[in-house]
Amino acid sequence: MENWIIYLLNGLYFASFLFLTSLGLSIILGTMGILNLAHGSLYAIGAFMAAWIVGAFGAKAPITIFFVALLAALGLSGLMGLIMETSIIRPMYHRALEYQLLITFGALLLIEDLIKMTWGGTAYYASKPFDVMGILSIGSNQYPFYFLFVMLIALAAGLGIWLIMGKTRVGIMLRAISMDREMAKAMGIRISKLNTLAFGMGAALAGLAGALIVPTTPALLGIGMEPLILAFIVVVLGGLGSLKGAMIGSLIVGETRSLGIVFFPEIELPLLFLIAVIILVFKPKGLFGR
Amino acid sequence: MEKKKKIGRREFIKSAGAVGVGLGAAGLLGTSVKVRKATAAQTRSIPKTPIKIAAISFLTGAAAAPFGIPGDNAYKLCADEINKKGGILGRKIDMKSLDEAGGADTQVKLARKLILEDKVDVILGYISSGNCKAILPLSDELGGLIIAYDCGTHVLMEESRSPYKVPKYSLGFRSSAHLGIDNIGLALYIKQYYPGVKKIAAINPDYAWGRDSCLIFETAIKKLFPGVEVVKKLWPKLGATDYTAHISALIGSGAELIHSALWGGDAVTFTKQAIGMGLFKKARMAYSRGEPYPQEVGMDYPEGQIICCAGTHYFIYPPKENWPLNKWFVDEFHKRYNKYPTYPSYHAYQAIYSYKAAVEKAGSLVGGWPSKEEISKAASGLSIETPSGYLTIGEDHNGKEDVLVGISKKVKGYSFPILDPDRMAIFPAHQVNAPVGIRTEDWIKGWKV
Repeated sequence: MENWIIYLLNGLYFASFLFLTSLGLSIILGTMGILNLAHGSLYAIGAFMAAWIVGAFGAKAPITIFFVALLAALGLSGLMGLIMETSIIRPMYHRALEYQLLITFGALLLIEDLIKMTWGGTAYYASKPFDVMGILSIGSNQYPFYFLFVMLIALAAGLGIWLIMGKTRVGIMLRAISMDREMAKAMGIRISKLNTLAFGMGAALAGLAGALIVPTTPALLGIGMEPLILAFIVVVLGGLGSLKGAMIGSLIVGETRSLGIVFFPEIELPLLFLIAVIILVFKPKGLFGR
Repeated sequence: MEKKKKIGRREFIKSAGAVGVGLGAAGLLGTSVKVRKATAAQTRSIPKTPIKIAAISFLTGAAAAPFGIPGDNAYKLCADEINKKGGILGRKIDMKSLDEAGGADTQVKLARKLILEDKVDVILGYISSGNCKAILPLSDELGGLIIAYDCGTHVLMEESRSPYKVPKYSLGFRSSAHLGIDNIGLALYIKQYYPGVKKIAAINPDYAWGRDSCLIFETAIKKLFPGVEVVKKLWPKLGATDYTAHISALIGSGAELIHSALWGGDAVTFTKQAIGMGLFKKARMAYSRGEPYPQEVGMDYPEGQIICCAGTHYFIYPPKENWPLNKWFVDEFHKRYNKYPTYPSYHAYQAIYSYKAAVEKAGSLVGGWPSKEEISKAASGLSIETPSGYLTIGEDHNGKEDVLVGISKKVKGYSFPILDPDRMAIFPAHQVNAPVGIRTEDWIKGWKV
């Protein structure tokens, strides 16, 4: 029983990262119709920024530095998102998908090089928050509090996005754009400004996810590739532009991976794709797609 | 199986001697090196230009800090030292450090350029087994001398059936032993210190290096412990950032001992997360090339973990007082870089000094600067003194070395756990390297235990 609790918690922990990453991707894809291949690089910017700040204060840094690092990572990735949208994404709205893929892939390479130029090619370590938050005992097993902290942040971010999308004027307009772009335009909604906002918000969420991972793993070039691929699976499973879809999709992927590693380690990844295929056969637009 | 608990001067000399005797008995040892300086009687000219060497290691990415940079630093240190002492046959070294990042295709393009356009004298390089497998065939195809210095896959120089013809590549070498010594060494160490082990698990990266390491370890451990049960085998992706599910699976498996060839950032990430989840309170890790990580992780690194050194490459072994070359290497390296050399640094030493010894040996035979083919012939069967003891390059163009295995312990005076000096074991080369022309797996299966 104790082991089962840990297996499920592991799934939730992994799902938290997926949720933060895929939510941003889903907002961008759902609202703007842009398939952003550089989303993983925005995640990497957050990771490097946070690791750099925590590392700069050394072993004696107070834990509050980590919260500053989280905000800084969120801000920098968001800012990069705003720059990307206004400079290279905007001319792509009326172009075919191939152009979007080409331009966002170019952005991916460009951001990787920017990271290399800014932080160099070596690893950045920032394990202090993980070390100081302590351990929770679950029977004879132990579970780091930091993992629970990550789940809490993901939950808070999800709640925040839900409130923005559901209760604010901006959110309602964003939803209107994702439902019917032309109609929203006809109703007088200023799409270009909201596109910029949506892209910035999605990028900031990716940066936050990147910042949260570095206390448990070094920030390295290419750190954003794995979350990007899995986030695509989540978005496809959950349905484009759906908050609920991103959450349920992340939980399915997170728990399948966790239990797959324990019980079917040789087919952990194929298992994930198999479940995705089964869902898509019955729900071609994803679980909550419109 | 030999048991050497504490390594003193006598034990070290015995062990070093055993390399020569063992390899000789196995038919591995060729001509010993006799370096002669070029004399007035030389029949061939020696170019006045510097020797162009391309030193290729990971300078960016996950493998840079624990492997590439320590390796590259050692190349620079050794090249400077060789130049200070007059170069090789009077020619100074002009060494260029290059990044191994970018994958096999990028490295193949780079190697082609280095051989065909830049006309380098030798390429010393590669940490990734995938890169080595892609690059070594280019040596004969393009006529360039290539010395692989750190990659570990045993299939690089082996063929699919025993006995096989050697060498596989006439201009391609590896100046270190392959992963066989690490994994056989671990199995022998476990047999020696933990003979009661019943349940074993493994976590290895899901590509050639991880799969090959696991195969050799499993073959050896099953031969040495016929009743042992392998309860779980996990294959995380290279570069994974979350190991929580793997760690829980390992804890849940009830394994007493866990084999791992995780490396670079993966090894550090796994260790950090495993500390948090209490894995080390329930099981003991056996790392096939874990030597750099205690220094990377620092005092948080757990005690009691079995660690192999990819040879006898360790900053406190051979003991400085018995082996002046290790004292020089460790002291100079620490003075320059404020870190102790790790095994890739020793491997880099072996690569550049093997090349030097082969050129000098061939040069003394031809009376001038030798051709690449002549250097290659001289390198086959070459034996040199290194900071770690002795290295012999067999007729299969692969290095043969002793192997050192130990267990991590916090010792006063060090800022990270070191290998417990009282529980180190050295397994001589003949005990951990398959004979030339015989596949490692076949050789282990033929052991009479």
